[in-house]
Amino acid sequence: MTLIRWWHILRARLRSVTHRGRDAAQWDADFEFHLDAHADELIRAGVSPDEAKRRARAAFGSQASVTESYRDLARVPVVETAWRDLRYAARGLRRSPGVAATAVFTLALCLGATLAVFAMVDAVLLRPLPFPAPDRLVTMFNTYPRAGVTRDESSITNYYERRGQIAAFRDLSIYQEWPATTGDASSTAREPVMHVSPDFFATLGVTLPAGRPFLEQETLPGADRVAILTDRAWRERFDADPNILGRPIRIDSVSRTIVGVLPPTFRFLSSQAELYVPLASELSRRAPAERHSGSAATMIARLAPGVSIEDAQAQVDARNAAVELVAPYPRAPQMNDAGFRTIVRPLRADHVSSVRPILLLLQTGVGLLLIIGVVNLTNLLLVRSSGRIKEFATRRALGASSRQLVGQVLAEMLLLAVCAGAVGTALGMAGVRLLAFVSADRLPLGASLSFDGRTAALGFAAALAIGAAMAATVAAFLLRSGPGHRLGDTSRSHTSGREAQRLSHVFVVLQVALSFVLLVSAGLLSVSLNRALAVAPGFRVDHVLTGRVSLAGTTHAGAAGELAFINRLTDDLSSRPGVDAVGVTTKLPLTGDIKSAVTVKDYVLPAGESLHGSYTYGIRGDYFKAMQIELREGRTLTPDDSRDRLRVCVVDEDFARRYWPGQHAIDQWLFNGSRVQTDDQAFRVVGVVAPVRQSGITADERQGAVYFPFPNAPDNTFFVVAHTNVAPESFVTTFQRTVRAIDPEVPVSDVQTMNARVADDLFLRRSPALLAVAFAGVALLLTAVGTYGVVSAAVARQRREIGVRMALGASPAQIGQQFLWLGLRLVGIGALAGAVGAQLSGVALRNLLFGVAAFDPETVAATTVVMALVATTACALPAVRAARIPPTEVLAEE
Amino acid sequence: MGKPADLVQGTLDFLILKAIALEPRHGWAIAKRIQQMSGDVLQVPQGSLYPALYRLERQGWVTATVGEADNGRTVKFYALTRAGRTHLRHEVASWDRLSSAIDQVIRATS
Repeated sequence: MTLIRWWHILRARLRSVTHRGRDAAQWDADFEFHLDAHADELIRAGVSPDEAKRRARAAFGSQASVTESYRDLARVPVVETAWRDLRYAARGLRRSPGVAATAVFTLALCLGATLAVFAMVDAVLLRPLPFPAPDRLVTMFNTYPRAGVTRDESSITNYYERRGQIAAFRDLSIYQEWPATTGDASSTAREPVMHVSPDFFATLGVTLPAGRPFLEQETLPGADRVAILTDRAWRERFDADPNILGRPIRIDSVSRTIVGVLPPTFRFLSSQAELYVPLASELSRRAPAERHSGSAATMIARLAPGVSIEDAQAQVDARNAAVELVAPYPRAPQMNDAGFRTIVRPLRADHVSSVRPILLLLQTGVGLLLIIGVVNLTNLLLVRSSGRIKEFATRRALGASSRQLVGQVLAEMLLLAVCAGAVGTALGMAGVRLLAFVSADRLPLGASLSFDGRTAALGFAAALAIGAAMAATVAAFLLRSGPGHRLGDTSRSHTSGREAQRLSHVFVVLQVALSFVLLVSAGLLSVSLNRALAVAPGFRVDHVLTGRVSLAGTTHAGAAGELAFINRLTDDLSSRPGVDAVGVTTKLPLTGDIKSAVTVKDYVLPAGESLHGSYTYGIRGDYFKAMQIELREGRTLTPDDSRDRLRVCVVDEDFARRYWPGQHAIDQWLFNGSRVQTDDQAFRVVGVVAPVRQSGITADERQGAVYFPFPNAPDNTFFVVAHTNVAPESFVTTFQRTVRAIDPEVPVSDVQTMNARVADDLFLRRSPALLAVAFAGVALLLTAVGTYGVVSAAVARQRREIGVRMALGASPAQIGQQFLWLGLRLVGIGALAGAVGAQLSGVALRNLLFGVAAFDPETVAATTVVMALVATTACALPAVRAARIPPTEVLAEE
Repeated sequence: MGKPADLVQGTLDFLILKAIALEPRHGWAIAKRIQQMSGDVLQVPQGSLYPALYRLERQGWVTATVGEADNGRTVKFYALTRAGRTHLRHEVASWDRLSSAIDQVIRATS
């Protein structure tokens, strides 16, 4: 068949659908013309005009039948029927706008929520990382589980000992992200800068569209003054200068030469760094003695073709053993005691592991909500269509085929589903915006959260599938009503009606059960959140302002300069109105991660024990007072303690209990580092303070902390902590201005109240709890509406029966009870099933819970009460209506 | 004029295509043309003419355009499409084969 003919056919068919009105008119004109022409001919042959007209008409046949046959022909089966069904469906829905709106809104809401959460799951868990063969990328880190250090990343030595030595890896590299001051000399803007080994981009499989990657000789300090820009930095900071290569850029007051630009699509995990520089290290940092100086860098590698991650793990283990033989680490046995091992993990899975269970939880929750919504809707439509059994029976009796009836139900459901799909997609899009706004910075890979065509297409596909499923259920039930069936039936209580009834009862039970599970889960998460909020972190949360100050690359660098700057800053800040206490610390609580070794003098490791990592702080000023960390014994540190000959420190109770159980910690001695040093290097414990939450509000790890005077554990980047007696937010500008008054070139960053930091810490607990509560609330509402609908339908169906029974002496209370009992029985069965489900969901949730058991009787009891209240209300309304049915009126209706 | 012969089953389409092979015609003209070409032997059953035209249009053999008839009224004119013309050629060829075969059968028995 030629294309042209196809075109003619297509045009003709489409015309018959779209131009129906005009076409029909033309046909009639043609028939008219034909009849007139025939009549004229007859008149010319001598027939009288009236007779001519009669004969012409007779010859033509009945016009109606001709038109009909044309209509039949004009029907393009699928399009035509679908079009008619759709119009019919639209009319049907317009007739009951309440039902239609409820249906569309219910479905749209559930669909929108599902899509929004799915977009998040997609961005974080599903969408491949933007590198070639991203599933071949792995990360590895050192772990010392028996020392309480589960993750210590990698040392520079690890990198130099492993690269090119492990056949399982095609490429291996390390990176480190560090904040730096960039821009011209007066700039105090702080931004993250990535320090990467030369093979970093090769490992990821990224080629630079301009310039070159870093070179091996650029990994030595001094020779590393080069930088690579992201596409964004190139466009925004250098106006996409085509001659960018060779231009200088200042990073931490050092001028570097730009040697490359990354492709626009480049995005490394969640990093927001726009500048890349070589990870330079002194040769001494690559020596075996630094093998376990982890926390230095993160290692990534690309698996060689055909190598499994298990193979890689085995080879890494073997390599670790091999380097130990060639160049032993001084305290290797202690490391082995601590359970040292290097773990290889898929890069992406590792990166998102913290949020994976939460996202899956949300996806499951919202999926349940969608199921509840769909079940609810199907039920509503089922109840509604059982009112239409008569209509369908009539139409079948008049010859409508099953296909036509199914087609019509399908059209109606699909129309609903498409409307819901459109609204739901819009809601989903809005939801994604909101989620992106809330979580882009806090969710790994959150920046890639977007609502794309894929998600929209999925939404529509889901909507259509739901429409089809609902249509199938309703149609199956309607078809079973059988042809020529019960035309004479005046009531709606007949066999098929009873079947539909049973089905809708099952649906109510299902909804109640699922809602119950959602409610209990939301309850458990909320209880967890509450318990987390109730945790005393060991420091003051309100009225505390914190901010990071960096002296790196400024004129204050160096021990004396840093101390002078800190002294001046704390003095200046303390003199400001509204400030109660000011302190400086190298580290804030809740941030966790860096644990260092502290060695206690004369401490003998009990058999089976291993070295233990502790949190070490360098503090200055009134840190303990500003943070309100309680002193339990002895004294806190004073500015005098910073002198070298008075080496003192403060430990927390956890530390004291671990090393000196049952003894006084005061006047004990310890060393900062993982080995015993000479006595003049020892620190004397002068005080014991209360423990604080080191790595998160809910992390009760009892790891122990040691507070050294700042000069003994200095850092060029530190936090200032100010306890204010005014709202700490109002103190932000004063804080920044005070720093600038001392030296405008000193950058201040990450200025936040302690409250905000705690909120951030609980973000992954709070957000899922809030979302789960929202889902559960909607689910409960839907279930209530569903239960109400089913009981109402039952009342409507049995109206006549109720009338008769009341006429025969049944009391209104009896009638009301009957329906209340019907509803409550369904809810009861559902709740029982839900309780079993909740047990399972509790187990699945276990890792996300805090301070509450997977099966919490109180939560289940509370859920049951809420469910019972809502269900009783939902059943009572129609039950009361049933009890008020006036028997005389009903009987008169017959 | 005796009773017009019924059309052989399935030949109406073919005759319509033939009737508009020279120029586009409207329905009435097609009926007259067939009658005329057959020497008034074949009479188009008027009730089937229009459905047949519609069928042909849908099959892509003919295309309809609205035009003006002799008396100024607008009616649909049917024209052969290129595919329709090819189709007609095939139909003529197969008709020739069929009719000559029938012819042979009839003659052979006498």
